[in-house]
Amino acid sequence: MKKLYSNKLVIASLILPGILVFVFAILAPICLSIYYGFTDYSGMGTATVIGFENYSKLMQDKIFWKSLWHSALLAIGFICIQHPLAMIVAAVLDKLQGKAEGFFRCVYFIPNVISVAVIAYLWKFIYNPDFGLLNNVLKALGYTGKINWFDSKIAIWSVLVVLIWHGFGWGMLIYYTGIKNIDPVLYEAAAIDGANNRQTFISVTLPQMKSVIQVNVTMAIISALKQMETVYLLTNGGPGNSTQFTANYLYQQAFKAFKYGYGNAISVVFILICIAVTILLNIIFSEKGKAV
Amino acid sequence: MMKKRFLTTILAITAAGTLLAGCGSKTAAPTAAPTEKATEKAADQTTEKAAEETTKQAEAAEDVTLKVFSNLPDRKNGQGLVEQMIIDEYMAQNPNVKITVEALDEEAYKTKFKAYAMDGMPDVVSIWGQPAFLDEVLNAGVLAELNTGDYADYKFVEGSLEGFKKDGKLYGLPRNTDVAVIYYNQKMFDDNGWKIPETYNELLTMASDIKAAGLIPMAMDGGDGWPMAIFMSDLVNKINGSTIETVANAVQNGDFTAPEFKEATELMRTAAEAGLFQDGYDSQDYGTAMNLFTNGQAAMFYMGSWESSMALNEDIPEEVRTNIRVFTMPVVEGGKGQKHDIAAWNGGGYAVSADSKVKEEAIKFLNYMYQPDKLSKYGWENGVGMSAQDQSQYMTGNETELQMQIVEIVNAATSLSGTPINDCGPSAFKACIESEIQSVTNGTSTVDGFLDVIGKACK
Repeated sequence: MKKLYSNKLVIASLILPGILVFVFAILAPICLSIYYGFTDYSGMGTATVIGFENYSKLMQDKIFWKSLWHSALLAIGFICIQHPLAMIVAAVLDKLQGKAEGFFRCVYFIPNVISVAVIAYLWKFIYNPDFGLLNNVLKALGYTGKINWFDSKIAIWSVLVVLIWHGFGWGMLIYYTGIKNIDPVLYEAAAIDGANNRQTFISVTLPQMKSVIQVNVTMAIISALKQMETVYLLTNGGPGNSTQFTANYLYQQAFKAFKYGYGNAISVVFILICIAVTILLNIIFSEKGKAV
Repeated sequence: MMKKRFLTTILAITAAGTLLAGCGSKTAAPTAAPTEKATEKAADQTTEKAAEETTKQAEAAEDVTLKVFSNLPDRKNGQGLVEQMIIDEYMAQNPNVKITVEALDEEAYKTKFKAYAMDGMPDVVSIWGQPAFLDEVLNAGVLAELNTGDYADYKFVEGSLEGFKKDGKLYGLPRNTDVAVIYYNQKMFDDNGWKIPETYNELLTMASDIKAAGLIPMAMDGGDGWPMAIFMSDLVNKINGSTIETVANAVQNGDFTAPEFKEATELMRTAAEAGLFQDGYDSQDYGTAMNLFTNGQAAMFYMGSWESSMALNEDIPEEVRTNIRVFTMPVVEGGKGQKHDIAAWNGGGYAVSADSKVKEEAIKFLNYMYQPDKLSKYGWENGVGMSAQDQSQYMTGNETELQMQIVEIVNAATSLSGTPINDCGPSAFKACIESEIQSVTNGTSTVDGFLDVIGKACK
């Protein structure tokens, strides 16, 4: 067996599929994107190299910066609203035990099982000002007005609610798994020391969950940056770019405005931002790790 | 060790055998049989003529698969039904031809069309004879040239082929004559004493009466942007009396500061502020807007004449279905456009891929579709608005009142607006105006800001 694994041909045959997938599915598209980012390619016909023109336009493109700001808002929403709630729910679920634990775990995870298209259309109907559930509930409670939940002034918040709600299950499940892996002896020791639930959560659960939080926060920020499908189906960035997100804007420029070169320039900047954010998060977490 | 080597050898031989068998079976078997049959037949009959006939028959029976890429996903109603009827009929008449259909909604269709343009187009495709779509497609050379002479007897309405030409060469054929109309519920109007407005101001006054009655005055698909751009074109037409030259100049110079554009935008914004459209119109899609009208929640619906098949759609409650009527955009006070200067154009159509491996068969099928007794006749019989061909001989006397109203509108027209504004410029302009028009009507951006942004998008 040892002889087999030291055979270079065997090693090559084992890593070759992975390398091929990486080269053709990741590296080559990135290289092509970088190339097309320097062209005026419309997606059809021939491409002409135009240097940094796309990038210089991008720096002055207000919609791009607006969409990036919306992605940042979503990331903040994930970190400040979704994750604290997910962690609390996970801790409560852990304490529930029995059938109730399994039941609520399923209930909270259901939105993640439903297709994005269904989720988007479901919320479109919930938000509809004329026959939507939300306005009907308000009406039943005595509110006589009609709220347009996708009014350009508040549409971004309506979209954020859907995105935060939709991603809640994953965050909760990862925290729940993390909590389940904490050694029960620590809780017993805390109980013997007379710690109440709040003290146990802050002094035992939270510190033990540090690595899980790191992973979850990194994933949340990346998923906020690359948010596309729900927004595309829910509002397609509208009304008038008021709910525009970077990935959706990239798609619109490349495939609707036939500015494939410009779309690729957005994607290159987008990749650089994602890499920078990931490195920054690693630095923050590693420094915190050292400090602790 | 010996046993292992023996097993490895056996496995290697089996694998090689399987591969070789797999390679051979597909190619060898089908070709051998006809050859043998042909040889035997030729030997029996011994005449060259018989052999030639056999070859011709073999060629005639050669299986052909055509792929149709369509923007009509509903295959049971309206235009999608008509398209499917012709496809089924063609396959029945040509048993060797198999036609597969891939149908997507308009936006998804246009996106995939572009992907296909890079990677090999299906044989027959839906297209739009408008600069925003066709210019880039023709520049890329992905559509096959058609022979104009083939269509001399196809009774195309004069000028309807122009949008599908480049440098005098024809690349596609138009399907419809589209007219922008305001559908209304006649019963609702009669019951409440509302009259068809003669002027734009009367329309706005009536809107407040309709709102007071607890109904939505006009359902508008503002989420997609293009219906509002058509609405704007309609207003420019009523203000200016014509749009073709004015819009062409504006697009060419990237300058929309002409007073007619400003006035049209302001009128549209006034309408939105006055509550002519439903709440949240700027984020609601085609289906939602149409449902408001067909469910009786809205008194009017702004859309193209292609929706005239609503009068035959049994999914729509009878009380609404049988009472749908139309009128066109009322005149604007002080405008040059008169009642019968209408917003109409030849939009969607079909073309054949330049790289199709079965181009001849694809063109044959395309020509079959456009035989006057096919697309035009079936379209008329199914209430799908007006085609781009003369349909007068297909009047059955059983037409719906809605159909006849649209015919009367077109027959009485003193001028047609031509392609709507959003489809007159490059794709970047189209994407821009369809998004920015939401902002200007909902008050997020100013009229001047809107006109400035769409002008820049042309450059």
